[in-house]
Amino acid sequence: MAPRIDFASLSLMDALDLAVLIEEEAQERYEEFAAQMEQHRTPEAAAFFRLMAINEAKHGRELAARRSQLFGGVPATATRAMIFDVEAPDYDEARAFMSPRRAMKAALASEAKAHAFFVAALPAIQNPEVRALFEELRDEEVYHQELVKTELAKLPPDSGLSDEDFVDEPTAQ
Amino acid sequence: MSATCEFQAKDYKSDLKPIWCPGCGDFSVVQGIYRALAAIGRPPHEIAFVSGIGCSSRIPGYTTAYGFNSVHGRSLPIAQGIKLANPDLLVLAAGGDGDGFSIGGGHIAHLIRRNIDITYIVMDNQIYGLTKGQLSPTSQKGRVTCTSRYGSMENPVNPLLYVLAYGAGFVAQASPTDLAGMAATIEEAIRYPGFAFVNIQSPCVTYGEEAQQIKGLKAISESLKELGHNPEDRLAAMDLAQHYGEKLHLGVFYKNPEPQPTYDALVRERQALLSKDALPKERILDLFIKK
Repeated sequence: MAPRIDFASLSLMDALDLAVLIEEEAQERYEEFAAQMEQHRTPEAAAFFRLMAINEAKHGRELAARRSQLFGGVPATATRAMIFDVEAPDYDEARAFMSPRRAMKAALASEAKAHAFFVAALPAIQNPEVRALFEELRDEEVYHQELVKTELAKLPPDSGLSDEDFVDEPTAQ
Repeated sequence: MSATCEFQAKDYKSDLKPIWCPGCGDFSVVQGIYRALAAIGRPPHEIAFVSGIGCSSRIPGYTTAYGFNSVHGRSLPIAQGIKLANPDLLVLAAGGDGDGFSIGGGHIAHLIRRNIDITYIVMDNQIYGLTKGQLSPTSQKGRVTCTSRYGSMENPVNPLLYVLAYGAGFVAQASPTDLAGMAATIEEAIRYPGFAFVNIQSPCVTYGEEAQQIKGLKAISESLKELGHNPEDRLAAMDLAQHYGEKLHLGVFYKNPEPQPTYDALVRERQALLSKDALPKERILDLFIKK
Protein backbone atom coordinates (compact mmCIF):
# COMPACT_ATOMS: atom_id res chain seq x y z
CA MET A 1 0.00 0.00 0.00
CA ALA A 2 1.03 3.63 -0.40
CA PRO A 3 3.03 5.12 2.42
CA ARG A 4 0.80 7.21 4.62
CA ILE A 5 3.70 9.26 5.94
CA ASP A 6 5.14 12.30 4.20
CA PHE A 7 8.76 11.76 5.24
CA ALA A 8 9.90 14.97 3.56
CA SER A 9 7.89 17.16 5.91
CA LEU A 10 8.21 15.01 9.02
CA SER A 11 9.07 16.97 12.17
CA LEU A 12 11.13 15.52 15.02
CA MET A 13 8.07 15.42 17.27
CA ASP A 14 6.03 13.52 14.67
CA ALA A 15 8.97 11.20 14.01
CA LEU A 16 9.27 10.39 17.71
CA ASP A 17 5.51 9.87 17.96
CA LEU A 18 5.62 7.50 14.98
CA ALA A 19 8.53 5.62 16.51
CA VAL A 20 6.54 5.18 19.73
CA LEU A 21 3.50 3.99 17.74
CA ILE A 22 5.66 1.50 15.83
CA GLU A 23 6.92 0.04 19.11
CA GLU A 24 3.38 -0.05 20.53
CA GLU A 25 2.07 -1.89 17.49
CA ALA A 26 4.86 -4.46 17.71
CA GLN A 27 4.30 -4.87 21.46
CA GLU A 28 0.58 -5.47 20.95
CA ARG A 29 1.19 -7.99 18.16
CA TYR A 30 3.67 -9.96 20.26
CA GLU A 31 1.23 -9.92 23.17
CA GLU A 32 -1.47 -11.17 20.82
CA PHE A 33 0.82 -13.93 19.52
CA ALA A 34 1.74 -14.89 23.09
CA ALA A 35 -1.94 -15.16 23.98
CA GLN A 36 -2.57 -17.30 20.87
CA MET A 37 0.28 -19.62 21.83
CA GLU A 38 -0.98 -19.92 25.41
CA GLN A 39 -4.46 -20.67 24.09
CA HIS A 40 -2.98 -23.42 21.90
CA ARG A 41 -0.73 -24.92 24.58
CA THR A 42 2.57 -23.76 23.10
CA PRO A 43 4.27 -22.29 26.18
CA GLU A 44 7.83 -21.99 24.81
CA ALA A 45 6.80 -19.82 21.86
CA ALA A 46 4.44 -17.90 24.15
CA ALA A 47 7.28 -17.12 26.56
CA PHE A 48 9.45 -15.89 23.71
CA PHE A 49 6.70 -13.64 22.33
CA ARG A 50 6.11 -12.25 25.85
CA LEU A 51 9.81 -11.43 26.05
CA MET A 52 9.63 -9.65 22.70
CA ALA A 53 6.59 -7.69 23.88
CA ILE A 54 8.50 -6.61 27.00
CA ASN A 55 11.45 -5.48 24.88
CA GLU A 56 9.23 -3.51 22.50
CA ALA A 57 7.45 -1.90 25.45
CA LYS A 58 10.78 -0.93 27.02
CA HIS A 59 11.99 0.64 23.79
CA GLY A 60 8.65 2.42 23.38
CA ARG A 61 8.90 3.87 26.89
CA GLU A 62 12.42 5.16 26.21
CA LEU A 63 11.26 6.88 23.02
CA ALA A 64 8.19 8.29 24.77
CA ALA A 65 10.40 9.72 27.53
CA ARG A 66 12.57 11.45 24.92
CA ARG A 67 9.51 12.85 23.24
CA SER A 68 8.14 14.08 26.53
CA GLN A 69 11.46 15.70 27.47
CA LEU A 70 11.68 17.55 24.15
CA PHE A 71 8.08 18.45 23.49
CA GLY A 72 6.25 18.05 26.78
CA GLY A 73 2.52 17.66 26.45
CA VAL A 74 2.15 19.01 22.91
CA PRO A 75 -0.66 16.92 21.37
CA ALA A 76 0.49 14.31 18.86
CA THR A 77 -0.66 14.49 15.27
CA ALA A 78 0.75 11.12 14.21
CA THR A 79 -1.77 8.28 14.42
CA ARG A 80 -1.80 4.51 14.19
CA ALA A 81 -3.57 4.83 10.84
CA MET A 82 -0.26 6.09 9.40
CA ILE A 83 1.60 2.87 10.09
CA PHE A 84 0.99 -0.82 9.64
CA ASP A 85 3.18 -3.79 10.43
CA VAL A 86 6.43 -1.81 10.48
CA GLU A 87 8.01 -3.85 13.27
CA ALA A 88 5.09 -6.12 14.10
CA PRO A 89 5.23 -9.62 12.57
CA ASP A 90 2.61 -10.38 9.90
CA TYR A 91 -0.58 -11.88 11.31
CA ASP A 92 0.01 -15.19 9.57
CA GLU A 93 3.48 -15.69 11.05
CA ALA A 94 1.91 -17.32 14.10
CA ARG A 95 1.19 -21.02 13.85
CA ALA A 96 -0.37 -23.56 16.14
CA PHE A 97 2.32 -25.49 18.01
CA MET A 98 5.09 -23.38 16.50
CA SER A 99 8.55 -24.18 17.78
CA PRO A 100 10.70 -21.61 19.62
CA ARG A 101 12.93 -21.64 16.55
CA ARG A 102 10.08 -20.68 14.27
CA ALA A 103 8.93 -18.01 16.74
CA MET A 104 12.39 -16.51 16.82
CA LYS A 105 12.64 -16.60 13.03
CA ALA A 106 9.34 -14.69 12.83
CA ALA A 107 10.75 -12.08 15.20
CA LEU A 108 13.98 -11.91 13.22
CA ALA A 109 12.04 -11.30 10.00
CA SER A 110 10.12 -8.50 11.74
CA GLU A 111 13.31 -6.80 12.89
CA ALA A 112 14.61 -7.02 9.31
CA LYS A 113 11.32 -5.57 8.06
CA ALA A 114 11.64 -2.62 10.47
CA HIS A 115 15.24 -2.06 9.36
CA ALA A 116 14.07 -2.00 5.73
CA PHE A 117 11.38 0.56 6.64
CA PHE A 118 13.90 3.01 8.09
CA VAL A 119 16.35 2.44 5.23
CA ALA A 120 13.60 3.12 2.67
CA ALA A 121 12.45 6.27 4.50
CA LEU A 122 15.87 7.90 4.89
CA PRO A 123 16.38 9.28 1.34
CA ALA A 124 13.13 11.28 1.56
CA ILE A 125 13.85 12.87 4.96
CA GLN A 126 14.77 16.58 4.87
CA ASN A 127 15.00 17.44 8.58
CA PRO A 128 18.52 16.61 9.90
CA GLU A 129 17.22 15.79 13.41
CA VAL A 130 14.67 13.36 11.97
CA ARG A 131 17.39 11.87 9.79
CA ALA A 132 19.61 11.33 12.84
CA LEU A 133 16.73 9.69 14.71
CA PHE A 134 15.88 7.37 11.83
CA GLU A 135 19.54 6.41 11.42
CA GLU A 136 19.66 5.61 15.11
CA LEU A 137 16.47 3.53 14.86
CA ARG A 138 17.79 1.74 11.75
CA ASP A 139 20.98 0.81 13.60
CA GLU A 140 19.02 -0.37 16.61
CA GLU A 141 17.12 -2.78 14.39
CA VAL A 142 20.45 -4.32 13.37
CA TYR A 143 21.33 -4.67 17.05
CA HIS A 144 17.94 -6.29 17.77
CA GLN A 145 18.52 -8.77 14.94
CA GLU A 146 21.83 -9.72 16.54
CA LEU A 147 20.10 -10.30 19.88
CA VAL A 148 17.54 -12.64 18.29
CA LYS A 149 20.28 -14.45 16.37
CA THR A 150 22.15 -15.00 19.64
CA GLU A 151 19.01 -16.54 21.18
CA LEU A 152 18.53 -18.70 18.08
CA ALA A 153 22.08 -20.00 18.36
CA LYS A 154 21.37 -21.19 21.92
CA LEU A 155 18.58 -23.51 20.76
CA PRO A 156 19.19 -27.25 20.46
CA PRO A 157 19.37 -28.64 16.90
CA ASP A 158 16.11 -28.72 14.94
CA SER A 159 14.03 -31.88 15.52
CA GLY A 160 13.12 -32.05 11.84
CA LEU A 161 9.43 -32.03 12.71
CA SER A 162 7.24 -29.47 11.02
CA ASP A 163 4.55 -27.47 12.84
CA GLU A 164 2.19 -28.78 10.17
CA ASP A 165 2.72 -32.31 11.53
CA PHE A 166 0.57 -31.33 14.49
CA VAL A 167 -2.35 -29.90 12.52
CA ASP A 168 -5.43 -32.01 11.85
CA GLU A 169 -5.84 -33.26 8.32
CA PRO A 170 -8.88 -31.99 6.43
CA THR A 171 -11.79 -34.38 6.67
CA ALA A 172 -15.23 -34.67 5.14
CA GLN A 173 -18.22 -34.50 7.48
CA MET B 1 -27.41 8.28 21.70
CA SER B 2 -23.70 8.76 21.21
CA ALA B 3 -21.65 9.43 24.26
CA THR B 4 -19.34 12.39 24.40
CA CYS B 5 -16.36 10.54 25.86
CA GLU B 6 -13.68 9.14 23.58
CA PHE B 7 -13.26 5.42 23.17
CA GLN B 8 -10.14 3.46 22.38
CA ALA B 9 -9.82 0.24 20.43
CA LYS B 10 -9.22 -1.71 23.66
CA ASP B 11 -12.63 -0.63 24.99
CA TYR B 12 -14.27 -2.91 22.42
CA LYS B 13 -12.10 -5.93 23.24
CA SER B 14 -13.79 -8.51 25.44
CA ASP B 15 -12.06 -10.75 27.98
CA LEU B 16 -12.78 -13.82 25.88
CA LYS B 17 -9.64 -15.18 24.21
CA PRO B 18 -10.07 -16.01 20.52
CA ILE B 19 -9.70 -19.71 19.76
CA TRP B 20 -8.99 -19.21 16.08
CA CYS B 21 -5.92 -21.00 14.76
CA PRO B 22 -2.82 -18.88 15.34
CA GLY B 23 -2.09 -16.95 12.18
CA CYS B 24 -5.77 -16.78 11.14
CA GLY B 25 -6.69 -13.63 9.23
CA ASP B 26 -9.69 -13.15 11.50
CA PHE B 27 -7.36 -11.88 14.26
CA SER B 28 -6.66 -8.86 12.11
CA VAL B 29 -10.34 -8.41 11.24
CA VAL B 30 -11.34 -8.15 14.88
CA GLN B 31 -8.54 -5.60 15.41
CA GLY B 32 -9.83 -3.65 12.40
CA ILE B 33 -13.31 -3.68 13.91
CA TYR B 34 -12.00 -2.46 17.30
CA ARG B 35 -10.23 0.43 15.58
CA ALA B 36 -13.23 1.31 13.41
CA LEU B 37 -15.59 1.29 16.39
CA ALA B 38 -13.19 3.47 18.38
CA ALA B 39 -13.13 5.95 15.51
CA ILE B 40 -16.95 5.94 15.37
CA GLY B 41 -17.02 6.46 19.13
CA ARG B 42 -20.32 4.79 20.00
CA PRO B 43 -20.21 3.08 23.41
CA PRO B 44 -20.31 -0.74 23.31
CA HIS B 45 -23.82 -0.88 24.79
CA GLU B 46 -25.14 0.98 21.73
CA ILE B 47 -23.78 -1.66 19.35
CA ALA B 48 -25.31 -5.02 18.40
CA PHE B 49 -23.12 -7.52 16.61
CA VAL B 50 -24.76 -10.55 15.01
CA SER B 51 -23.10 -13.49 13.29
CA GLY B 52 -24.00 -16.84 11.79
CA ILE B 53 -21.99 -20.03 12.20
CA GLY B 54 -18.38 -20.70 11.30
CA CYS B 55 -14.88 -19.81 12.51
CA SER B 56 -15.37 -16.13 11.73
CA SER B 57 -18.83 -16.07 13.30
CA ARG B 58 -17.21 -16.30 16.72
CA ILE B 59 -16.28 -12.67 16.30
CA PRO B 60 -19.09 -10.96 18.30
CA GLY B 61 -17.87 -12.76 21.43
CA TYR B 62 -14.51 -11.07 21.15
CA THR B 63 -16.06 -7.62 21.34
CA THR B 64 -17.77 -5.82 24.20
CA ALA B 65 -20.80 -5.03 22.02
CA TYR B 66 -24.06 -6.93 22.48
CA GLY B 67 -23.38 -10.12 20.56
CA PHE B 68 -25.46 -12.88 19.05
CA ASN B 69 -23.70 -15.91 17.52
CA SER B 70 -26.87 -17.07 15.81
CA VAL B 71 -27.88 -19.76 13.33
CA HIS B 72 -26.00 -20.80 10.18
CA GLY B 73 -26.66 -18.28 7.43
CA ARG B 74 -29.17 -16.27 9.44
CA SER B 75 -27.11 -13.36 10.72
CA LEU B 76 -28.77 -10.89 8.35
CA PRO B 77 -32.47 -11.55 9.15
CA ILE B 78 -31.66 -11.41 12.86
CA ALA B 79 -29.65 -8.21 12.44
CA GLN B 80 -32.55 -6.78 10.45
CA GLY B 81 -34.99 -7.59 13.26
CA ILE B 82 -32.71 -5.95 15.80
CA LYS B 83 -32.36 -2.81 13.69
CA LEU B 84 -36.12 -2.52 13.18
CA ALA B 85 -36.88 -3.11 16.83
CA ASN B 86 -34.23 -0.67 18.03
CA PRO B 87 -33.19 1.66 15.19
CA ASP B 88 -30.87 3.64 17.44
CA LEU B 89 -28.49 0.70 17.75
CA LEU B 90 -25.45 0.49 15.53
CA VAL B 91 -25.91 -2.96 14.00
CA LEU B 92 -23.10 -5.06 12.57
CA ALA B 93 -23.46 -8.47 10.98
CA ALA B 94 -20.58 -10.80 10.19
CA GLY B 95 -19.78 -14.28 9.01
CA GLY B 96 -17.81 -16.30 6.54
CA ASP B 97 -18.24 -16.82 2.82
CA GLY B 98 -20.08 -20.09 3.38
CA ASP B 99 -22.44 -18.54 5.89
CA GLY B 100 -23.09 -15.51 3.71
CA PHE B 101 -23.09 -16.85 0.16
CA SER B 102 -24.25 -20.45 0.52
CA ILE B 103 -26.83 -21.15 3.20
CA GLY B 104 -27.43 -17.45 3.86
CA GLY B 105 -27.08 -16.26 0.27
CA GLY B 106 -30.78 -15.68 -0.22
CA HIS B 107 -31.00 -13.12 2.56
CA ILE B 108 -28.51 -10.64 1.17
CA ALA B 109 -30.70 -9.56 -1.75
CA HIS B 110 -33.57 -8.63 0.54
CA LEU B 111 -31.53 -6.56 2.95
CA ILE B 112 -30.04 -4.74 0.00
CA ARG B 113 -33.38 -3.99 -1.67
CA ARG B 114 -34.81 -2.79 1.64
CA ASN B 115 -31.63 -0.84 2.36
CA ILE B 116 -31.49 -1.68 6.05
CA ASP B 117 -28.84 0.39 7.85
CA ILE B 118 -26.53 -2.50 8.71
CA THR B 119 -22.86 -3.11 8.01
CA TYR B 120 -22.23 -6.65 6.83
CA ILE B 121 -18.66 -7.92 7.09
CA VAL B 122 -17.83 -11.17 5.32
CA MET B 123 -14.57 -12.86 6.23
CA ASP B 124 -13.95 -14.59 2.96
CA ASN B 125 -11.39 -17.40 3.19
CA GLN B 126 -12.71 -19.52 0.30
CA ILE B 127 -13.05 -22.63 2.46
CA TYR B 128 -15.18 -24.13 5.21
CA GLY B 129 -12.54 -23.97 7.92
CA LEU B 130 -14.53 -24.87 11.04
CA THR B 131 -15.65 -28.17 9.53
CA LYS B 132 -12.11 -28.90 8.34
CA GLY B 133 -11.64 -27.80 4.79
CA GLN B 134 -14.57 -28.43 2.50
CA LEU B 135 -15.29 -26.55 -0.73
CA SER B 136 -17.08 -23.25 -0.08
CA PRO B 137 -19.10 -21.04 -2.45
CA THR B 138 -16.11 -18.78 -3.10
CA SER B 139 -13.54 -21.61 -3.58
CA GLN B 140 -11.83 -21.28 -6.93
CA LYS B 141 -12.63 -23.67 -9.75
CA GLY B 142 -10.20 -26.57 -9.74
CA ARG B 143 -9.57 -26.28 -6.00
CA VAL B 144 -8.73 -29.61 -4.41
CA THR B 145 -10.36 -30.14 -1.02
CA CYS B 146 -11.63 -33.13 0.92
CA THR B 147 -14.97 -32.73 -0.87
CA SER B 148 -13.45 -32.09 -4.30
CA ARG B 149 -10.68 -34.66 -4.55
CA TYR B 150 -10.20 -34.15 -8.27
CA GLY B 151 -10.68 -30.39 -8.21
CA SER B 152 -13.82 -28.30 -7.98
CA MET B 153 -15.99 -28.27 -11.08
CA GLU B 154 -17.97 -25.25 -9.88
CA ASN B 155 -17.48 -21.59 -10.66
CA PRO B 156 -17.09 -19.54 -7.48
CA VAL B 157 -19.57 -16.92 -6.35
CA ASN B 158 -18.17 -13.43 -6.84
CA PRO B 159 -19.31 -11.68 -3.61
CA LEU B 160 -18.52 -8.19 -4.90
CA LEU B 161 -20.45 -8.56 -8.15
CA TYR B 162 -23.26 -10.30 -6.28
CA VAL B 163 -23.96 -7.36 -3.97
CA LEU B 164 -23.29 -4.74 -6.64
CA ALA B 165 -25.78 -6.41 -8.96
CA TYR B 166 -28.46 -6.31 -6.26
CA GLY B 167 -27.86 -2.58 -5.83
CA ALA B 168 -25.96 -2.32 -2.54
CA GLY B 169 -25.20 1.32 -1.76
CA PHE B 170 -21.78 0.64 -0.25
CA VAL B 171 -19.42 -2.10 -1.38
CA ALA B 172 -15.79 -2.40 -0.30
CA GLN B 173 -13.00 -4.92 0.10
CA ALA B 174 -10.20 -5.14 2.66
CA SER B 175 -7.55 -7.59 3.80
CA PRO B 176 -5.09 -8.19 6.65
CA THR B 177 -2.32 -6.96 4.33
CA ASP B 178 -3.38 -3.45 5.34
CA LEU B 179 -4.94 -3.22 8.79
CA ALA B 180 -5.11 0.58 8.86
CA GLY B 181 -6.87 0.53 5.49
CA MET B 182 -9.21 -2.20 6.72
CA ALA B 183 -10.16 -0.18 9.81
CA ALA B 184 -10.78 2.92 7.69
CA THR B 185 -12.92 0.91 5.24
CA ILE B 186 -15.02 -0.62 8.03
CA GLU B 187 -15.43 2.83 9.59
CA GLU B 188 -16.61 4.27 6.27
CA ALA B 189 -19.02 1.36 5.84
CA ILE B 190 -20.51 1.93 9.30
CA ARG B 191 -20.90 5.63 8.60
CA TYR B 192 -22.73 4.93 5.32
CA PRO B 193 -26.48 5.44 5.88
CA GLY B 194 -27.80 2.13 4.54
CA PHE B 195 -26.75 -1.41 3.81
CA ALA B 196 -22.97 -1.56 3.57
CA PHE B 197 -20.98 -4.61 2.54
CA VAL B 198 -17.31 -5.23 3.26
CA ASN B 199 -15.65 -8.35 1.86
CA ILE B 200 -12.48 -9.13 3.77
CA GLN B 201 -10.02 -11.59 2.29
CA SER B 202 -9.09 -13.32 5.51
CA PRO B 203 -6.63 -16.18 4.99
CA CYS B 204 -7.24 -19.60 6.51
CA VAL B 205 -3.81 -20.71 7.70
CA THR B 206 -4.84 -24.29 8.25
CA TYR B 207 -6.78 -25.19 5.10
CA GLY B 208 -6.04 -22.21 2.84
CA GLU B 209 -3.68 -22.39 -0.09
CA GLU B 210 -0.27 -20.73 -0.06
CA ALA B 211 -1.32 -18.06 -2.58
CA GLN B 212 -4.15 -17.02 -0.26
CA GLN B 213 -1.89 -16.28 2.70
CA ILE B 214 -0.78 -12.74 3.53
CA LYS B 215 2.34 -12.80 1.37
CA GLY B 216 0.34 -14.11 -1.59
CA LEU B 217 -2.35 -11.50 -1.03
CA LYS B 218 0.23 -8.72 -0.82
CA ALA B 219 1.50 -9.75 -4.24
CA ILE B 220 -1.90 -9.21 -5.87
CA SER B 221 -3.07 -6.20 -3.81
CA GLU B 222 -3.96 -2.96 -5.52
CA SER B 223 -5.44 0.10 -3.87
CA LEU B 224 -8.57 1.32 -5.66
CA LYS B 225 -7.70 4.87 -4.64
CA GLU B 226 -4.28 4.62 -6.24
CA LEU B 227 -5.84 3.17 -9.38
CA GLY B 228 -7.85 6.40 -9.58
CA HIS B 229 -11.16 4.56 -9.25
CA ASN B 230 -14.17 6.79 -8.71
CA PRO B 231 -16.29 5.07 -6.03
CA GLU B 232 -19.40 6.87 -7.28
CA ASP B 233 -19.19 5.00 -10.60
CA ARG B 234 -21.15 1.78 -10.15
CA LEU B 235 -20.37 0.36 -13.58
CA ALA B 236 -16.65 0.95 -13.11
CA ALA B 237 -16.99 -0.81 -9.75
CA MET B 238 -18.62 -3.80 -11.44
CA ASP B 239 -15.87 -3.86 -14.02
CA LEU B 240 -13.19 -3.96 -11.31
CA ALA B 241 -15.16 -6.49 -9.27
CA GLN B 242 -14.88 -8.97 -12.14
CA HIS B 243 -11.24 -9.45 -11.19
CA TYR B 244 -12.20 -11.01 -7.84
CA GLY B 245 -9.93 -14.01 -7.27
CA GLU B 246 -7.21 -12.77 -9.63
CA LYS B 247 -6.46 -9.38 -8.10
CA LEU B 248 -7.08 -8.05 -4.64
CA HIS B 249 -8.55 -4.58 -5.03
CA LEU B 250 -8.63 -2.84 -1.68
CA GLY B 251 -10.87 0.06 -0.71
CA VAL B 252 -14.31 1.27 -1.70
CA PHE B 253 -15.70 -0.14 -4.96
CA TYR B 254 -18.96 1.73 -4.78
CA LYS B 255 -20.55 4.32 -2.53
CA ASN B 256 -23.88 5.70 -3.64
CA PRO B 257 -23.51 9.49 -3.63
CA GLU B 258 -27.24 9.84 -3.07
CA PRO B 259 -28.14 7.14 -0.54
CA GLN B 260 -31.74 5.97 -0.67
CA PRO B 261 -33.84 6.27 2.50
CA THR B 262 -33.26 3.31 4.77
CA TYR B 263 -36.04 0.82 5.47
CA ASP B 264 -35.74 1.45 9.21
CA ALA B 265 -36.27 5.18 8.64
CA LEU B 266 -39.27 4.48 6.39
CA VAL B 267 -40.77 2.18 9.01
CA ARG B 268 -40.42 4.89 11.63
CA GLU B 269 -42.02 7.41 9.27
CA ARG B 270 -44.92 5.06 8.60
CA GLN B 271 -45.34 4.37 12.31
CA ALA B 272 -45.48 8.08 13.05
CA LEU B 273 -48.04 8.62 10.32
CA LEU B 274 -50.31 5.77 11.38
CA SER B 275 -50.01 6.49 15.08
CA LYS B 276 -52.05 9.68 14.61
CA ASP B 277 -55.21 7.65 13.97
CA ALA B 278 -54.24 4.71 16.13
CA LEU B 279 -56.57 3.50 18.84
CA PRO B 280 -55.37 3.74 22.43
CA LYS B 281 -54.02 0.46 23.78
CA GLU B 282 -57.08 -0.22 25.96
CA ARG B 283 -59.36 -0.02 22.91
CA ILE B 284 -57.30 -2.23 20.63
CA LEU B 285 -59.85 -5.08 20.80
CA ASP B 286 -62.40 -2.80 19.15
CA LEU B 287 -60.67 -3.56 15.89
CA PHE B 288 -61.87 -7.15 16.11
CA ILE B 289 -65.38 -6.55 17.41
CA LYS B 290 -68.10 -6.29 14.83
CA LYS B 291 -70.31 -3.31 15.39
